Amino acid sequence: MKGAVIFLTVLTLFACCSKKNDSPIVWKSIEKELQERLILAEDGETIELPEGHYMFTRTLSLDGKKRVTLRGKGMDKTILSWKNQTEGAQGLLISNGYNIKLEDFTIEDAKGDNLKVNDTNGIILRRIRSQWSGGPKTENGAYALYPVLCTRVLIEECVAMGSSDAGIYVGQSDTVVIRKNKAYWNVAGIEAENSKYVEIYNNEVYENTGGILVFDLPGLTRYGHSTKVYNNIIRDNNHPNFAQKGNIVATIPPGSGLMILATHDAEISYNEIHNNKTAGLAIVSYELVAALSEGQEDAPGAVAGVQTVNNNFRQDTLYNPYPYRIRILRNTFANKHWFPSLNNEVGKLLAWKSFLNPPDIVFDGITDPKREDPEICLGDNGKITFINLDAANNFKNLSKNPAPFECFKRNPYLDMKL
Amino acid sequence: MYRRALYILLLAAAGCSTKREEPVHITEEALPPPTGYLLPGREKLSEYGFFNGVLSRLQPADNVFPYELNAPLFSDYAFKKRFIYLPPGTAITYHPNDVFEFPEGTIIIKHFYYPADFRKPDENIRILETRLLVLEGGTWKALPYVWNNEQTEAFLEVAGHQTHVQWTHHNGTVRSVNYAVPNMNQCKNCHLRGDKIFPIGPLARQLNKTVNGKNQLLHLASLGILKNLPPLHQVPILPDYDDPTAPLDARARAWLEVNCAHCHRPDGPAKTSGLHLTADVIRPFELGIGKPPVAAGRGSGGLAYDIVPGHPEKSILYYRITSTDPGIMMPELGKKLVHEEGVALIRDWISSLK
Repeated sequence: MKGAVIFLTVLTLFACCSKKNDSPIVWKSIEKELQERLILAEDGETIELPEGHYMFTRTLSLDGKKRVTLRGKGMDKTILSWKNQTEGAQGLLISNGYNIKLEDFTIEDAKGDNLKVNDTNGIILRRIRSQWSGGPKTENGAYALYPVLCTRVLIEECVAMGSSDAGIYVGQSDTVVIRKNKAYWNVAGIEAENSKYVEIYNNEVYENTGGILVFDLPGLTRYGHSTKVYNNIIRDNNHPNFAQKGNIVATIPPGSGLMILATHDAEISYNEIHNNKTAGLAIVSYELVAALSEGQEDAPGAVAGVQTVNNNFRQDTLYNPYPYRIRILRNTFANKHWFPSLNNEVGKLLAWKSFLNPPDIVFDGITDPKREDPEICLGDNGKITFINLDAANNFKNLSKNPAPFECFKRNPYLDMKL
Repeated sequence: MYRRALYILLLAAAGCSTKREEPVHITEEALPPPTGYLLPGREKLSEYGFFNGVLSRLQPADNVFPYELNAPLFSDYAFKKRFIYLPPGTAITYHPNDVFEFPEGTIIIKHFYYPADFRKPDENIRILETRLLVLEGGTWKALPYVWNNEQTEAFLEVAGHQTHVQWTHHNGTVRSVNYAVPNMNQCKNCHLRGDKIFPIGPLARQLNKTVNGKNQLLHLASLGILKNLPPLHQVPILPDYDDPTAPLDARARAWLEVNCAHCHRPDGPAKTSGLHLTADVIRPFELGIGKPPVAAGRGSGGLAYDIVPGHPEKSILYYRITSTDPGIMMPELGKKLVHEEGVALIRDWISSLK
């Protein structure tokens, strides 16, 4: 025992010291010069960021520019940190731009969002690492990479870590590609919210609370539809939820692989959805989210669960709270866990209704009364554990039989090989 | 023995994990200052010729007119002096509820200053910055000028500036702030509507005020520089939120309008939030009553709604205006200090709601 401890001590000291020998980080400030250049930049200009560690105290912003590129020397070489931020809610802010490109650097430790891009037509984020260096914490900013109200968005080969909301979050945007990224240790790995024409593929999304979320929420400037999620690895998204209570992602049960909420025209195919302990894939209406929140609302100082959900959603006449035309094709599911995460309502419900066998696919069974067929179809996903909660009827017709949702029986053309 | 070893082990492990928490030493250097760019305005404030004699006395030259607002934006307790330059022979056109229409070539001039002692507001004044809004080719641009310590000149600083200020407050206590002059992009944060910059203050309801015994709008009209002014009883008026004789609701809504609504309006930068705070908003949900946050992040403070009637302590809006943490606080810019009087007003207002 003694020997083991001493051995460990020596090992730890060694590991620690050998790391320290990598010469300490020298932080430099290029804040004023860089901000000046971003303000004065001419359309079409490329601004090179040198190798090194740079500390910023205020939001760095690029506004109203066309075809400007901001390029570092690589995500391990050019590091921009807002650890000492005293002003502004974002690290880097891009606004009102046209064809803006950010490449090859790291953004760290902003007080709010690390990178926000708004009202921009044409934005490319390529090989950007965006993270909170202390790992997952509630005090971290909300979003690592956050384009909102944008058109033509490409996010590729980026890394997002530590967000107290979503790592890669695209909101209220049109024509979006999110590919070949890594998202881990966030509350939500990748989230597309109220966005249309979105493709999410070849990403690796792991060890978040929820892997990939496709949400449509009420009360916003625009609504989403037409999303494809394919060829992604979505695994081990079982991290405890560390979101600030009051935000909708604080309601995500740990162990959620992929979640489709109140959107329509979505295709989920060829994903590897493994070891997400509560549910591999959930298809949920906003009615369920709102219903789960009821009763919690009046609890004094309630901070748990879904109390901040917008219960006025029925007043929003442009909003449809039901998912429809959702196709789930040729995904592979596996789950080594026996129990869902039990510290939330959904987890408890699933533990009860799908005992010792958390579902690969769960559907709340709440459908649009105006729509005869929700057109939710499952095809060729191998042997899956399925559960239709029939929550609309208080679980009366709860069913574990996926057959009514098998789409190849309903539409043979879907099975055609080209 | 091995207890001590364990201790060392723990210590070593702690040393590792906190490696990045060491105090950060920053050296200035790296990028050379940008050269060869076209400056967006004149290099020095004096070049515009707005003021006669000693620049810092701010004695207006011809075609430069002073004006005041009913309810000014809170900017870390800075005092402000406002002027407008109009090209000779031109005039402003009145609008009942939107920003007035200004002639090409207009320049709106706003100085930010601190008296050494707030109880003697005209003595020992230190001017920190002068912001210009210039109407050129039909579009406005915002230019920040930073004053030198000698108070002889102000220079265009597109990237803004930070400086330490100290003063004796109204109650005799010594206060200080690390004052921030915004950069040109930050100017847009507040002045943007749609994709264009607009002035915020010069509204009928803000200028409808008695100054030196005369109604300011009537005075401007009598000088021939304000057209289409209707009879005064038709002109709206925004109360001074500091005026204790005005109704609580009107004072609170005035405070929210001037401090929040430049972003929180349907065509402002905070439109994504769905929270609209201009003084004419009627729908309670738009005002934040019972409205959950959209993308507040940790700004929500674990609270469910923007405003919970009767409960400021449960209202996100109140939580955020009382914070000075850049990731939480509202407004996001131009604030290092909490506006204590404003916060008290909003607390009373939310408490009064049912």
